[in-house]
Amino acid sequence: MNYDFSENELALFADVWEKITGLAAAGELEKRDPPVNAQNLRKVLEILAHTPYLHLGIGHDAGFSGHLTLMGAMEVLAAASPSVYLSVEASTRIFGRAVSQWGSSGQKQQWLTPLLNGKMIGALAISEASLNIENAPLTTHGERQGDAVIINGAKQYVINAPIADWIAVAGVLEGEHALFLIEKSASGLIIGPALQTPGYEGAPISGLTIENTRIPAAQVLLAKDRADMPAAIRMWENQILLGASLGLSKTAFEEARDYAKSHQSGGKPIIAYQEVGFKLAEMLTLFQTSQLLAYRTAWTIETAPREAAELMLCAKVFCAESAEQICSAAMQILGGSGYISGNRVERAFRCAKYAQIAGTSTEIARVQIGDAALGYRN
Amino acid sequence: MDFAFTREQRMFKKEIIRFAKKEIVPRVQEHDLKEAFDFESFRKLGEFGILGLHFPEEYGGSGADVVTTVMAGEALGEAGVDGGLTLAYGAHSFLCADTIFRHANEAQRKKYVPKLASGELIGCMGLTEPDAGSDVASMKTTAEKKGDQYVLNGSKIFITNGPIADICVIYAKTDPEQKHAGISAFIVEKGTKGFSAGAPLIKMGVRTSQTSELFFNNCEIPAENLLGTEGEGFNMSMQTVEWDRSALLSPFVGAAKYMLSNCADYAKKREQFGRPIGKFQATKHKLANIRIFAEAAQSLAYKIAWCKDQGRPLNHLEAAIAKLFVGDWSMGPANDAMCLFGGYGFCHEYNMERIFRDSRLAPIGGGTSDIQKMIISKLI
Repeated sequence: MNYDFSENELALFADVWEKITGLAAAGELEKRDPPVNAQNLRKVLEILAHTPYLHLGIGHDAGFSGHLTLMGAMEVLAAASPSVYLSVEASTRIFGRAVSQWGSSGQKQQWLTPLLNGKMIGALAISEASLNIENAPLTTHGERQGDAVIINGAKQYVINAPIADWIAVAGVLEGEHALFLIEKSASGLIIGPALQTPGYEGAPISGLTIENTRIPAAQVLLAKDRADMPAAIRMWENQILLGASLGLSKTAFEEARDYAKSHQSGGKPIIAYQEVGFKLAEMLTLFQTSQLLAYRTAWTIETAPREAAELMLCAKVFCAESAEQICSAAMQILGGSGYISGNRVERAFRCAKYAQIAGTSTEIARVQIGDAALGYRN
Repeated sequence: MDFAFTREQRMFKKEIIRFAKKEIVPRVQEHDLKEAFDFESFRKLGEFGILGLHFPEEYGGSGADVVTTVMAGEALGEAGVDGGLTLAYGAHSFLCADTIFRHANEAQRKKYVPKLASGELIGCMGLTEPDAGSDVASMKTTAEKKGDQYVLNGSKIFITNGPIADICVIYAKTDPEQKHAGISAFIVEKGTKGFSAGAPLIKMGVRTSQTSELFFNNCEIPAENLLGTEGEGFNMSMQTVEWDRSALLSPFVGAAKYMLSNCADYAKKREQFGRPIGKFQATKHKLANIRIFAEAAQSLAYKIAWCKDQGRPLNHLEAAIAKLFVGDWSMGPANDAMCLFGGYGFCHEYNMERIFRDSRLAPIGGGTSDIQKMIISKLI
């Protein structure tokens, strides 16, 4: 047992924080403008490529444990810039991990290498309008034609779709789940406009349609050993949302704490009033409990993957709901200045809700946790 | 970071659960209804080695580390042992026996600790007073040195094990002019002239633990019963906080796991509208809430324990957070568990109402949630 991050891990977190907060300071990373978002993201990816960050949780990097280090690093990046974090993770930990998990060595060479070198932006499209609680059925499908595959379908809410170089589209091929790797310029791939969202404005999200898009069979990823591809992707999404929730909680708590110490009312800092001080106490309690639960979940992914799925759902629900509460309380503490657009608390407040909706929604997660307790799920 | 328990720890936990289910749990309902302390179960805890788990073997213990000791508390809760008995165990082993072990002279250690570890003697700790709860410095009980004796005067309240204790660790002011620095700790034996315990208080929960006032009326004790030196009492009481925020919290974590298991079993059997209630999403939602609480709370208690094992000074911020979370956030799951059982949940037979009542102590005992918030807000 050991509840400490190593010195190397702490140094990595500090490095990521220092490198990204400088870029994020002016708030430009959070503005909705896909061309600018793409430029910013490429800049951030290039910076992160000089750290172990992009490799974490994909291939074990010397001296780091992988998922656990990743969770700590995710928290820092999400706190520095929620939008950039979401884009980096959608590209690296979703698209990249899919290639890493299900790709051949040739496919890894083609897509993973540039991705981890910060030279490529990826996206993964899975959500469809008709998906049910079990992520089925996927209506997007491919048909083999000789050495090629013809794809048709429609996807919604694809992070990075407007700026990605490559998009992995989840669908069905010959009755099995598959990911179709489609280049942004591919014929028949139609990217929808960036959607208006309350938060994460700097991480462009859109729908897309695929109409008779032809790709070589070498651009298809198939699940190995009949793995449940959509379930694995949901797990990765949930992991990202855990990191996002920690980062937003960290931002909101720290901003509110600093404000409460510096802002005076009635001749004393407002933290001296129990209405404020106690609120901060509850926020920190939720934040630190979230951290421990998220870290233990990440550790479980590494050490006992079979047990990780349920714990991930528990952590996802707890951390996402806590983040929303923490951000709301933080804005309350900042008062009028917190409600003015552009400050970090207001931004965190707008972003926080997303984690309860995306990935496995908190409602579906609770159903699945309950099913597990009842023995209704394996 | 590494959250792993050792193989031995995991096996030991299973052993405790097996033991508790067989030897203690069948007696819980009867004693809870009677509001009676279960002396036999307490003795069995001693025989099994739980009461003295963390003491060295030469003092009747097993030399277990703090994490293992905390795990024992979780195991008792998970087995279905009531909060009254686990509270009595906590007050006995950590608030009383551990304080004596750490601060008494060797003769006193040898005299008391092995018998406390075995359960032959029952211990309690008296700190709280009618007008001095978390504001410890306001205590009015005094200990005046007269020759080779101390004379104690005053009273204590809400003392777990008070009516049944053989040995008490009592905090009193040796220098009433001082605040915290004027507090000292003493060993007081049952039967000492001038010392008496009030009748057991009628409580909402943890009803098998016996709680009372303690009275000191010119109570004369040997000067050697002073623990450590004069003025060190407050720091001694603070040392018990480490146990309070780990070993005394872990039974609540265990209780959540007990609730989860029992609720799931019930939900699979209980049918309404032609199907088990476990098929309804609202039931799954409740089960999920209980599980989420248990998972979230677990690491908080073990982190305090692990830090203590590393010899680190108590991190008061983390300790207060652990106490606040387990206290305030355990209420929802306990309520969910009781509601999941419907009318049966409101009846004693199904144990959920007992756990609900027992859980209610968590935000109150050992420093209320408001006190924890006060501590946290000052430390941030």
